[in-house]
Amino acid sequence: MTTQVAALQGALAAEHAAVYGYGVVGAVLGGRAQADARADWTAHQVARDTLVSMLTGLGATPVAASPAYALPFAVTNAQSAEELAATIENRVTQAYLALVAVNSPTLRAFAAQAMQVSANRAVAWSGATQAFPGLPATQA
Amino acid sequence: MTFPLFLALSACKGPAVLSAPPSVSPQTQSLLRAVTAEHNLIWIYNKAIAAYSGLAPTLAPLRAEHQAHLAQLTARVIEPPGKQVPGTVTVKPALGASQGAVLVQLRAAEQAAVKTMMTRLDGASPSLAQLYASIAASEATHVSVLNARAGAR
Repeated sequence: MTTQVAALQGALAAEHAAVYGYGVVGAVLGGRAQADARADWTAHQVARDTLVSMLTGLGATPVAASPAYALPFAVTNAQSAEELAATIENRVTQAYLALVAVNSPTLRAFAAQAMQVSANRAVAWSGATQAFPGLPATQA
Repeated sequence: MTFPLFLALSACKGPAVLSAPPSVSPQTQSLLRAVTAEHNLIWIYNKAIAAYSGLAPTLAPLRAEHQAHLAQLTARVIEPPGKQVPGTVTVKPALGASQGAVLVQLRAAEQAAVKTMMTRLDGASPSLAQLYASIAASEATHVSVLNARAGAR
């Protein structure tokens, strides 16, 4: 149970960060790209709320969002905003990969499905697929 | 004293050298099937690229990722000792008659691969489950790429 909660908290923390990060992405982008960013921002809010419900159901206190997050690089234009969106999705994929390791068929399926969604979003932003989304390069 | 000792010794069984080899665990069976599935996918990508060179820029990177999947899956086969890792293609479908048909065919194959990979999660070790989930995510992105390519024709 502790492992399940820890992995769910990890995924929730990644979703909190994604919601924050897409705020930055959306502020820089315009037009169609901004609409895409808004749709992804909304999807991460839904995912965040789902994880909060799951944790609450397990009797845990969901980890809270930080007031602010350090960006991995400066976002100054559309290109760096799209790179940030892809980075966010890769980190979310990694967080759900940790949840796949939990020995619960339901959580594994849930997390693997979430990985497919975030991996697809990463491809949409970066234009490049990966052989092993979520896995560290040393393991892949 | 001798009699009980004889009984004790006779109760010990030596190794049955001619008995059947240990059965392959369900996890390994699943892994071996995943290896075969990757061989099958690579085979159809090879045929598609050979038949429709115009698709190569789209398909070759996806094939390369399947080759990476195959290498990782094969590297995980650690039992039973000496077991031959499958290296043969078991499904050789006829290739679609046009570029568009091939894209649809590959997309369906990738979708089926994702679905099957998801069924392998249950019962797999944590690390193997993560590899399966990562491969399924990769294959899910292939579906999107093939979809986009089919739509762009």
